Amino acid sequence: MKISFSTKSLRETFGQTLVELGERYKQLIVLDADLNTSARTVLFKERYPDRFIQCGIAEANLFGIAAGLAAQGYVTFPSTFAAFAARKALDQVYVNIAYPKLDVKIAGSYCGMTATECGPSHNCAEDLAIMRALPHVKVLDPGDNYELRSMMHAMMAEPGPVYFRVAKVNAAELFGPDHNFEFGVGHLLREGRDVTLFGTGFMTAVALAAATLLDREGISAAVAHIPSLKPIDEELIVRQARATGAFVTIENHRVFGGLGGAVAEIVSREYPVQLEMLGLGDTVFEAAPLQDLLRHYELTPHALAARARALVTRKRRATAA
Amino acid sequence: MSATSDLANLDLVARRLRLKLIQMSHAAGTPHLGSALSCVDILVAAYWNVVKVDPRNPSDPLRDRFILSKGHAATALYATLAERGFFPKEWLDTFAAHGAPLAEQPAPNCAPGVELATGSLGHGLPVGVGMALAARIQKRDYRVFVCMSDGECNEGTVWEAAMFAPARKLDRLCVVIDYNKWQATGRSNEIMALPSLRDKWAAFGWTAHEVDGHDLAALSRLLKNVPDGSGKPVALIAHTIKGKGVSFMQDDNNWHYRIPKPEEIEAARKELGLA
Repeated sequence: MKISFSTKSLRETFGQTLVELGERYKQLIVLDADLNTSARTVLFKERYPDRFIQCGIAEANLFGIAAGLAAQGYVTFPSTFAAFAARKALDQVYVNIAYPKLDVKIAGSYCGMTATECGPSHNCAEDLAIMRALPHVKVLDPGDNYELRSMMHAMMAEPGPVYFRVAKVNAAELFGPDHNFEFGVGHLLREGRDVTLFGTGFMTAVALAAATLLDREGISAAVAHIPSLKPIDEELIVRQARATGAFVTIENHRVFGGLGGAVAEIVSREYPVQLEMLGLGDTVFEAAPLQDLLRHYELTPHALAARARALVTRKRRATAA
Repeated sequence: MSATSDLANLDLVARRLRLKLIQMSHAAGTPHLGSALSCVDILVAAYWNVVKVDPRNPSDPLRDRFILSKGHAATALYATLAERGFFPKEWLDTFAAHGAPLAEQPAPNCAPGVELATGSLGHGLPVGVGMALAARIQKRDYRVFVCMSDGECNEGTVWEAAMFAPARKLDRLCVVIDYNKWQATGRSNEIMALPSLRDKWAAFGWTAHEVDGHDLAALSRLLKNVPDGSGKPVALIAHTIKGKGVSFMQDDNNWHYRIPKPEEIEAARKELGLA
């Protein structure tokens, strides 16, 4: 089963939404580390050159400068690849931005495996785990273009630091133009009795496709989309734990500390259920086109359906016994 | 004490501050006394003669910004700000106590006059650059001063920011390097090839001066001259002595971590000429 991707990339929406927000919010400043054509902040640069700061290939400096501006009342959007935000400049993000709770909205592009052929140095399978571990930082992974746009509007109204992913993909459409993102709110996209498939970012589309496959074989799978990993929709997760008793999570990320980890933290405390996590293990996202990577790391609808099927079978056996 | 004072008075202020730092290190059992004593004269010259700040209006958007990037020397900043009237001197008595406003390394918005949480080295200059950019965008003419240690110049972020500021002609930005020739574990000039710091900053596009970092008049003159009309940011390489002011602490790197004993405080008091 194939996912039908949108004709528009998330990064294009990111660039266009920055322009939109720049019109409305004069205190918005965009900063870049020599990637504005890739990350699409070039659209903002062309429109508001006075509020665009090119920091050069110096990511630590990028976040320090973004913090200095934010400390003087600006809302800053430093933009770089997820790998460089989460790995290279982590101490700046922590000390300069998270610790003083500054109004800095960090866009991590090319996140997860979406740097594709650039390989392990550019792919970043740990940004959600790293950012989730920082104090005061909200962590988001939008499911589609509509959600990314709504999310960026929402973060302008929400003081404090945010880390949000801008995957380099044309994400399948989950929502419509009136979609309203809220911090800490997840979405039950499909009802089901036997298992809940949890997705975040563009991987939720894989979960939806897997649910369709499972339906054909008599397994009723719910699908929950979690765009806000921190804060997270605890209520939705606990409700689904009670309703289905079995979870499979899927993410464009390592299985440590991302969506699977966040869900596990809640159910282990509130309502333990069988939980399988799909994502990258203790290895790297190799260099390859996206579709090859999805197949190689078993992040396809068929692979997800297989894991869910096995889980539901175990659950049914346990119940029968 | 008024904001502008003659040099004799300022010398007395500096000696009093030094004794206070020694007392604070003893009372709280906190290290980095040598580093704090090293930068006292830089802070005194800046806060009494140069930096436009008003203790009654510490958040004035038009104020000059002063960042002590070498956060481990926070006692020097706290004692300076208390002496200038930003907060009650009693706050110094609870320095480093749990829940007290003044921590061993400055926390965000911990006290009036403290511009930045520092401690992890190499952060002050990039943030100072951001503040200087904000001034430019807002069309405000405040200046940004960043005091760093020589050891801090090991950090790559210092040089990222050093390359950036001249490209933006941030001529209202000034770096002061407290060049006491020591870092935690050895001679700074041996651990890294720091010399010549003046040549390095000049080569990066800054107006770079060398100055005796304990000469209040010379420091004041150079700091007042920011911006200097060249269109470049200014770097002062301030030659200092770690542990300055107390003979048995001066240039002895044991005082990076040592805590003074009561009899050492008394000996220091005598040497500083204070009753």
